[in-house]
Amino acid sequence: MSSQSPTSTKVAELRSAFDRERAAPSSSRTELQTESLLAIRVFRDAYAIRVSEISGLSTDRKIVAFPSPIPELLGVASVRGTLVPVYSLAGLLGYGAETGQVRWLVLCGTEEPFALAISDFEGYMRMPRTQLHQIEQKDVARTHVTDVARTTDVVRAVVSIPLIRETIQERCRKSGIPKER
Amino acid sequence: MWTFGRKIAAGFALAFVLLAIIGAVAYRSIGALTDTSRLVTHTHQVLEHIADVLSLLKDAETGQRGYIITGDEAFLEPYQTGTSGVHTVVKELRELTADNPNQQKRIDEAEPLIAAKLAELKQTIDLRRKSNVEETTKVVRSGEGKRDMDSLRAVLAQMEREERDLLKQRASEVDTASSGAKSTIVYGTAFCLLFVMAAGFFITRSLSGQIGAAVRHVQSSSAELQSAANQQASGAKESSTAMNEITTTISELLATSRQIAESAQRVAHVAEETSSAARSGDTTVQKSHESVNSIKRQVDLIVTHMLDLGKKSQQIGGILEIINELAEQTNILAINATIEASGAGDAGKRFAVVADEIRKLADRVGGSTKEIRVLIEEIRAAVNTTVMATEGGSKAVDLGARQFAEVTAALKQITELLGTTTAAAREIELSTKQQTTAVEQVNIAVSNVAKAAKETEVSSSQTLQTAGQLAGLSRDLIRLIQATASA
Repeated sequence: MSSQSPTSTKVAELRSAFDRERAAPSSSRTELQTESLLAIRVFRDAYAIRVSEISGLSTDRKIVAFPSPIPELLGVASVRGTLVPVYSLAGLLGYGAETGQVRWLVLCGTEEPFALAISDFEGYMRMPRTQLHQIEQKDVARTHVTDVARTTDVVRAVVSIPLIRETIQERCRKSGIPKER
Repeated sequence: MWTFGRKIAAGFALAFVLLAIIGAVAYRSIGALTDTSRLVTHTHQVLEHIADVLSLLKDAETGQRGYIITGDEAFLEPYQTGTSGVHTVVKELRELTADNPNQQKRIDEAEPLIAAKLAELKQTIDLRRKSNVEETTKVVRSGEGKRDMDSLRAVLAQMEREERDLLKQRASEVDTASSGAKSTIVYGTAFCLLFVMAAGFFITRSLSGQIGAAVRHVQSSSAELQSAANQQASGAKESSTAMNEITTTISELLATSRQIAESAQRVAHVAEETSSAARSGDTTVQKSHESVNSIKRQVDLIVTHMLDLGKKSQQIGGILEIINELAEQTNILAINATIEASGAGDAGKRFAVVADEIRKLADRVGGSTKEIRVLIEEIRAAVNTTVMATEGGSKAVDLGARQFAEVTAALKQITELLGTTTAAAREIELSTKQQTTAVEQVNIAVSNVAKAAKETEVSSSQTLQTAGQLAGLSRDLIRLIQATASA
């Protein structure tokens, strides 16, 4: 057979790429020069979350709603055997309530964990740190964004999970809730 | 209104009736006169016989007296004549007065007297022969003979008087009858003349009036006839011209009819050829119909297979969803592993590499499943399109099959119609030939009519001339009637 089918060619390419990755030596320098990000969309706006700032990713968890003075608090969900409060990232970013189905939960922190609910998860991406640019002038509307990630086709605002945590704590203090849990 | 003949006949009939009445009256009067004159003659005969009776007795007496005086036998001749003739005359007198009982009665009275007288005469004559004059004269002087004679004279005088009275009566009757006849004839003739004159006057007046009106009517009619004849003459000329044009047109029509007959013949021929072609087409269409049915079965099979293919692709899509779900879960696990590895520090670096590889594989599987999904969607779309196309093809084949059936029916109908067309074309051909013959006859008839129109033109000229003559005659008649009326 002189010619191969496109599927066979693609399978061969995948195998070759996997072998190449496995064959290449791991470099701590490369690790230091790259940043892992989760690509998400909030109301069609492109955002990114640093993987180093989160403690896990979960999907299709049941969220049990309960009354709360904080409108961004959707309820609680069981993740890895632990009940965590679930907040709407869109609400915290100032977009208002989610219109679509909330499938994804981004778990943040290990001591006082909480989860951010997102409706649109695009995938995992690793990019050089050189493509991350710190925002010099803080946008009033984007108080939780510290950097932007520039890819070939889109510029993503990188949401800072510590700032989100501060915002949640601030809301809890204002509403008289001592702790998130 | 009475006709002339009726009026004249009525006048003559009335005059005839009057003349007949006058004639009848005259005839009756003449008959009465004749009867009366015959009766007068009869009366005169009776009178003569009465006179003869007396005369014969006188002759017998005269002979008796002469013989008595002379004794000479020669003087007895009148006696002999009288005695022999008196019975005959009495007998005739009885016959003549048979219708008169008075006279018969008187004759009955007279006959004994006559017999007695004749006996006296014979006695005296016989006595004279035997004796002398004196003896005989004694007998005469006894007067017996004279008494018989006087009695007889008296009876005969009565008879004569009665006859004279009858004569007078009949004379007056004659006068009455003759005067009546005269009056009837004179007055009747005068009345008849007056009536005839009046009838003649009225009939003449009526006839002159009516004939005058009729003649004037004839005059106006002749004038109208003259103008009509003029119009007829011009119309006859126009008719003659039109007939010539019609003859030309009919000749053209004749030629056209022949052409139509030839065309109809060709049409019949073409219709027969078309009919055979339609029958051949019907066979071809039957075969095509069978082929179309076979195609329909194949298309139905293709549709079934394509539907199976669609179902299979749906099943592949379901399996692919599972693979995609697995890839997604693998990806999440890999991300979580990466997070855990990064939390583990240097110890988790190699695990992080493995997790990253697993995540990449999961990403690639996810990308491949997306590609497969796209391909499956394309297959499903292609299957759907193919199914729809094949269903459309099936419907088209159904439609084609139905249309083939319709085409077959149409071809059958065409064949039947072509048969009808052939028959109709033949009928047209036959009819056109008959029409040609009829048109030829019409052409002959129109030629005759054209000839007749020319003759009509000539006769209308003659009519015009005759109408002129009639107008002249009517004028003459009017002059005659007016002259008669004025006269």
